[in-house]
Formats: sequence, C-alpha cells, structure tokens
Amino acid sequence: MAEKPRPVQVLYCAVCTLPAEYCEFGPDFEKCKPWVIQNAPHLYPDLVKADKEAEKTGEKLQGMQISGDQADSTAPAGSVSKQEEVKRLPGGKIKKKEKPEVVVEKVVRNKRKCVTIVKGLDMFGIKLSDASKKLGKKFASGASVVKGPTEKEQIDVQGDILYDIVEFITETWPNVPENAIYFIEDGRKVPAA
Amino acid sequence: MFKKFSSEEISSQNQVKASVQRKIRQSIAEEYPDLEPVLEDLLPKKSPLIVAKCQNHINLILVNNVPLFFNVRDGPYMPTLRLLHQYPNIMKKMQVDRGAIKFVLAGANIMCPGLTSPGGALDDDIPAESPVAVMAEGKENALAIGFTKMSAKDIKAINKGIGVDNMHYLNDGLWKTVQLN
Repeated sequence: MAEKPRPVQVLYCAVCTLPAEYCEFGPDFEKCKPWVIQNAPHLYPDLVKADKEAEKTGEKLQGMQISGDQADSTAPAGSVSKQEEVKRLPGGKIKKKEKPEVVVEKVVRNKRKCVTIVKGLDMFGIKLSDASKKLGKKFASGASVVKGPTEKEQIDVQGDILYDIVEFITETWPNVPENAIYFIEDGRKVPAA
Repeated sequence: MFKKFSSEEISSQNQVKASVQRKIRQSIAEEYPDLEPVLEDLLPKKSPLIVAKCQNHINLILVNNVPLFFNVRDGPYMPTLRLLHQYPNIMKKMQVDRGAIKFVLAGANIMCPGLTSPGGALDDDIPAESPVAVMAEGKENALAIGFTKMSAKDIKAINKGIGVDNMHYLNDGLWKTVQLN
C-alpha cells in the first residue's frame, strides 16, 4: 500500500456523542431527534416524514387554538416544561444533577497556619491541575490537587487566601457566577457574595 | 469491560521507555498491518507515549492524552472505537443482526445466533481469541470491539452461547473518556 488510507470522518451526534446512525439505540433518542432531523436526515427517512406530518398537524392545531381561544397562548410553554419534569422523574434512575457550586473552606493547622480548601471547581469544567497552578502562582504558595474525603478532588492552597479568592475565581473563570461560591464558616455554608 | 470506566480507575500513568514504545508499536503493526502507513501519524516516534494502567489489568495507550489503544494483561492491542471509525478496515469484521444492537450497546457479549442469523455475517477465516470489529446490520460504523471466544467455523457449527466477548462498545466508559489527563 503506497498511499496512506485517509481517516474517515464519522458523523457523531452532538447530543449523545454516538455515530448518528446509532442514535436510535442511544440513551435518549427523543432528545437526539431534533439534531438528527437537522443534520442526518438521510439516515432516518421515516423520522423526517413523521416530523413533517407532525408539523402540519401542529400548525393546524395552532390555527384552531388561535381561532378558538386566545387566552391560552401561555399554555404550550407550560406543557413543555411539565413534560420535561415528568421525563426525569420515572424510575428514579436518572441522578439529579448536583447544582454546581464552589465551596471554599479554611482549615487551621499548627495554630497559626492555614490551608484553604477549594472544592467543586471541576463542576464548572475547569481542569483542576491547571487551576491549582494558577492559584499557586497568584498567591505565591503551594497549591495541590488532593483527593477529598468522598473521592472528590479538591485543591489545597497553603495560606489564608479567603480574602480575594472570590475575585480571583470570578475573574479567571468567568463562567463561575459569584453567587455559586460559598464559604464554610463555623461549619455553616455562607454565600460569599 | 469498560461499562463503568472513568479517570478514577487509572492507577498509574507512565511515560514509557523508548524501547517499550518500540515494542508496542511493533505489536500494533503486526496485529493491524493495514494500519502501518498511518501508524507514524498516530503514534509519532518523537512524541511521548503514555501507558495508563487501570483496574482489571487493562492498559490504555495514550498519545496527547487521547486514548488510542487498549489491551488486557499481555493480550493483543485493540483500537478504541473512535480510532476504528476513522480507519474502519484495519480489523476483521463480524456483523450482528438488528435485534442484537440494543443488547450489545448495553454491554452484552455477542451470542452466536446473532452472528449466524440472516442479518449477521462473519468471515470464515477468523480464528478464536482474536480481536474483531463488531458491525451491525444496516449500519456503516462499528458498534463494538470484541474478542472472539470461538473461531468463525465453530460459531457456525455450534451456534450457541457466547461467540465474541464484548470488550468495548459505543457509549461505554471508554467511549466517554475522549481525553485523559
């Protein structure tokens, strides 16, 4: 073989990451459907047809609603959100996603030295190793990624840096909202903001 | 095998010695001769090769933090599905019927009847204990990587029980780990 075989580009679903043709066997085909209809209609001809029909009937319905009762205009939005809620509840298999938050705690050691523990940065999609480096640089102290008590990774920064860690976090990672940062004071969670 | 897999299962990650690196390359080249022309692009000699050891004696081969190959104990190296999708013809293929897809994607081993039924297909020259790509009826891309338990002839003759062990399938833990660090 003289020529290099070129890598094949496979179309992956943006919703479930599977190749588009396997969406129908994926974890949640219903959610993939809109994406599939948009991006890979040739793979699911039936679906596209059904979708078009649904659209038509939907239009009809809408027409009827408008002619029938105009006060109902807020109802469709409500029903959609309700459907989503119902979807999540059955079985209880789907874990409720924990609300992402950053918890900052100061632990005193040797009476006059402290360690600041930052938990939960990973929930915002931040690489902990990068974060610890940045923290160490900013505060000119040791910062390391440590496995926490419940197998969760956290960052330990030497020294008391509570005073401007909030500013630092919100500045370096704009996707972390200030109201998602909490301090632990006397064993209680206190919002930082 | 990778049903539950995450970065927590990795017990150690090492950049391997050049000699080990050479050995790994060689065994991959032997296993997948069709991959040889692109092997230099996949595993550049210069860039460091990292071997991540995981639980259950699994080794992952990483280049630039992307898992490319895995093996069990000293077994043959197998590509990850993302790699196989790029170079679909490097492995021998077996095809399962449509009814089996659902189960394979849930991690089930591949049973003989799913391969011998009208929707399935398999080459006669596949020996036992070798890695294969598991394709599916009416689909272009592989849905799993398996390790044959019987030779193709036995699968046809016996037509019962597990024919291929499911090593790695779509949407399992390894599939979800696109990057490791």
